[in-house]
Amino acid sequence: MTGSADMSDMDREIGLVGLRRIIDDHVEVRFRLEPGDRSLVAVGETVVPGAPIIERLRDPQLQELAVPGSAQPQPGGRVSEGELLFEWRGRWRIAGGDLTETVESPVAGIVREVRQGGAVTVRTGGRAVTGIVALGGPTRGQLRLATGRDGELRSGGLDVGFAGAILVVGSRIDAETLTRARAMGIRGVIVSGLASKERRDFVASEARQHAALHRLSPFAVLVLDGAVRRPLSSPVAAVFDALVGAEVAIVTDPPMLVFDVPGVIPPPAPAGHVRVRSGEHAGREGTWAGMLGLRRFPGGVQLDAARVRLPDGSVIAVPLGDLERFG
Amino acid sequence: MTSEPRAFLAIDHGSATSSATLIGRVGAAWRLIGTLAVPAAAEPEAAIDLLGRRVHAADRTLAERLGLGSGGRRIDGLPRLEVRSRPPGRLVVVAGSERTLAGLMAAAGRGGWLATGASMETADPMAMSRLLLATDVAGILAGSSDPPRPDERGTIRELAALVAAVAERRPGLPIVLAGAMAEGLAAFGDVADRPGEIVLGPPPAPGPASSVGGPLADLLLELALPVDDPRRTVGAATQAIADVLDRRVEAIALGHDAGVRAWATPSAGGQEGVPRVAVVADAAVAPNDPDDAAVDGVLVWSTVPTDRHRLRDGLRELRIAPWAGAAGDGSALRMAAARAALVRLVAATPERASEPPPDIVVASGGVWSSVPAPTVTLALADVIRRPGASQVALDHARLLATLGAIPDPGERRALIADLVDDLLAPLGTVIMPAGLRAGRSAGGLTLHAGGTTTEVGLVPGGLELVDLAPGETGTAEFRFRDTVRLATRGRHFAVDVAGGLGGLLVDLRDIPLRLPDRADRRRDLLQAWQRALWAGSSE
Repeated sequence: MTGSADMSDMDREIGLVGLRRIIDDHVEVRFRLEPGDRSLVAVGETVVPGAPIIERLRDPQLQELAVPGSAQPQPGGRVSEGELLFEWRGRWRIAGGDLTETVESPVAGIVREVRQGGAVTVRTGGRAVTGIVALGGPTRGQLRLATGRDGELRSGGLDVGFAGAILVVGSRIDAETLTRARAMGIRGVIVSGLASKERRDFVASEARQHAALHRLSPFAVLVLDGAVRRPLSSPVAAVFDALVGAEVAIVTDPPMLVFDVPGVIPPPAPAGHVRVRSGEHAGREGTWAGMLGLRRFPGGVQLDAARVRLPDGSVIAVPLGDLERFG
Repeated sequence: MTSEPRAFLAIDHGSATSSATLIGRVGAAWRLIGTLAVPAAAEPEAAIDLLGRRVHAADRTLAERLGLGSGGRRIDGLPRLEVRSRPPGRLVVVAGSERTLAGLMAAAGRGGWLATGASMETADPMAMSRLLLATDVAGILAGSSDPPRPDERGTIRELAALVAAVAERRPGLPIVLAGAMAEGLAAFGDVADRPGEIVLGPPPAPGPASSVGGPLADLLLELALPVDDPRRTVGAATQAIADVLDRRVEAIALGHDAGVRAWATPSAGGQEGVPRVAVVADAAVAPNDPDDAAVDGVLVWSTVPTDRHRLRDGLRELRIAPWAGAAGDGSALRMAAARAALVRLVAATPERASEPPPDIVVASGGVWSSVPAPTVTLALADVIRRPGASQVALDHARLLATLGAIPDPGERRALIADLVDDLLAPLGTVIMPAGLRAGRSAGGLTLHAGGTTTEVGLVPGGLELVDLAPGETGTAEFRFRDTVRLATRGRHFAVDVAGGLGGLLVDLRDIPLRLPDRADRRRDLLQAWQRALWAGSSE
């Protein structure tokens, strides 16, 4: 009787651990639409992967134009020279330009909203794994595993055979490897942690590449956990294992990996499964073994702690805030 | 039996952590029975359940009298008083000139908004349209001085036309036309049917930085946050504490998304006092995308060896999972980030520097929850440098925001009168004289408390920590060698002091604080100051 009561308390207590969703269903993704850009889709239309959705101005310029009233001009409207911004002293300020490029949808879905000057919003039919940030542009490719879940990919480890793929690279990657991957035709990278320095260097490289006349295929980096090195969590790695070889997409707003593969149902995480997110045991996973109460930790701080049983049978005390569970 | 509740739960759903507090009727008064904080991503019900069980384990009779039932399991049926933080919205601020933009940004920055700005002086209409039409924009502030200054006279009509065009495309966006920009209202057509409000506001406060808080900042705060937002209710609670204790009170709440500074004087003459509140999104403990200035601001206060890149990584991690990594170097990072956030909060409320110091400073926010309480006093004293004496207390159960949400001022005051001793954990008294001259001795202190007398020598540039337990009061007599400023100018002072977890802290360091430029020396100095108040900080 006591045992079952204790078990029930333990079941409730695990709710004290922050929950992280592994998969979201039917997500909405946005594609940036700046002044001058033209939406090629309308609300209610269905888009498929690869369908052009936005005609993007490469170097938008401000122009002034007299627009006859018979054209019923209004802000956000279009004339052949570009997008009408506002009327000033009888003439219209227009965002226009000569060079355009087409943005293709990496996902299938239905267009929910088109905001000229804002974004095109598509509701996808697929499911998604959410990250904390995605750098680059929306992209699509075949998912492949480049390393184990705690591995690190170096530039020398890239192979031309990866061209067209979205690579899962484990715990860390540097900017040099990312730029080389982009140059080799790899479509995207999924990584657990990306350090701020590598992030800054890659963003600068991406901006230079965008300014170039000849552009490469869209490329994106999806960061799942944070800025420091830690292995991919095993429940998320299990999803990627199930998706190997499937066509997936990385979108940037919100940052996520979108997939529409019927039948891919990752195995549920075992009951009481927790992961240590931060601290000296960061990256380790185990089973919830109950609350400990306040404990003193390095740095002279007192924190509510929990017991975690590791796969080798040992039990460690971990601050409650350092744990996460998956659902 | 009575239908009046004998207990209720006060729940603060914060952006980083959520806290649940059980408040119960004991005898004739409301008392704080127990409290628990958990990560915001956790289930509040699990925290409430554990709180009930802990209360029951600690005092079974009391738990049953409060209606918690067997094992404390009926706690989830208690009435609840809840507040919930939401991320601040983005306000795009546009003006005709850079000078006016600076004033508008200052007002918006303390009005609960994440402000992004551009002026016609430096941005073309295309860039401005891009800024105004972005999908994350929650409001627009277009302003000019009144009458318009020569440098903006030629541009504000064009700016009004631009903003009016955006208003037509985004009918739901609230728009504030401040100062002479209101003259451009005609460009917006018939505003009566527009779903988003168009509000005419005062111009940005002219003159020195000390006047940045004013009617425009207050208006923006009204628009940014609903009345029951926890960052606004901190103001109401501060006023209630000021009334209950009959003291000048200042609350400093550091949060994940914003910092709050609220101050109040006791109501007088039958008129309800009105607290001043500044909600500064820029003073969030962990900024969303820390730029170099933000990183450098934290680096100044770091007590562990690090570099910009690693510190930026640490701040990003703190932003992503603010409840995680609180032990070891994580605690030092939090305290450095908290001090940097305090610096930004103080910079956004410059008028406080010329006002008398409060009698009581109340620190609030989850960032203080894991470090030893006396350290909080030092962090406040490091940043808020003003001559005078103030008691310092900690809102350890994070009740300020929840109790401030009680709509009726009388009811709020009555509850806080019962709870004030429970909700404010006394940290001690800080005494900070100004104008000390360098030398071996600045004079002496005699503390009379609890029937004993303690003599302490005062050394300029240092910190003197004198034991004075919570609940104890006494008189500190100061005899300085030279004339100093401590509320007034003089050499001899007698100050009433109250004890706390940190005791009496006599801060003889410079005002403002000067830190060594060399990182290693600065770290050593910060660690030396901290060591006396934070046992084990260097583990």
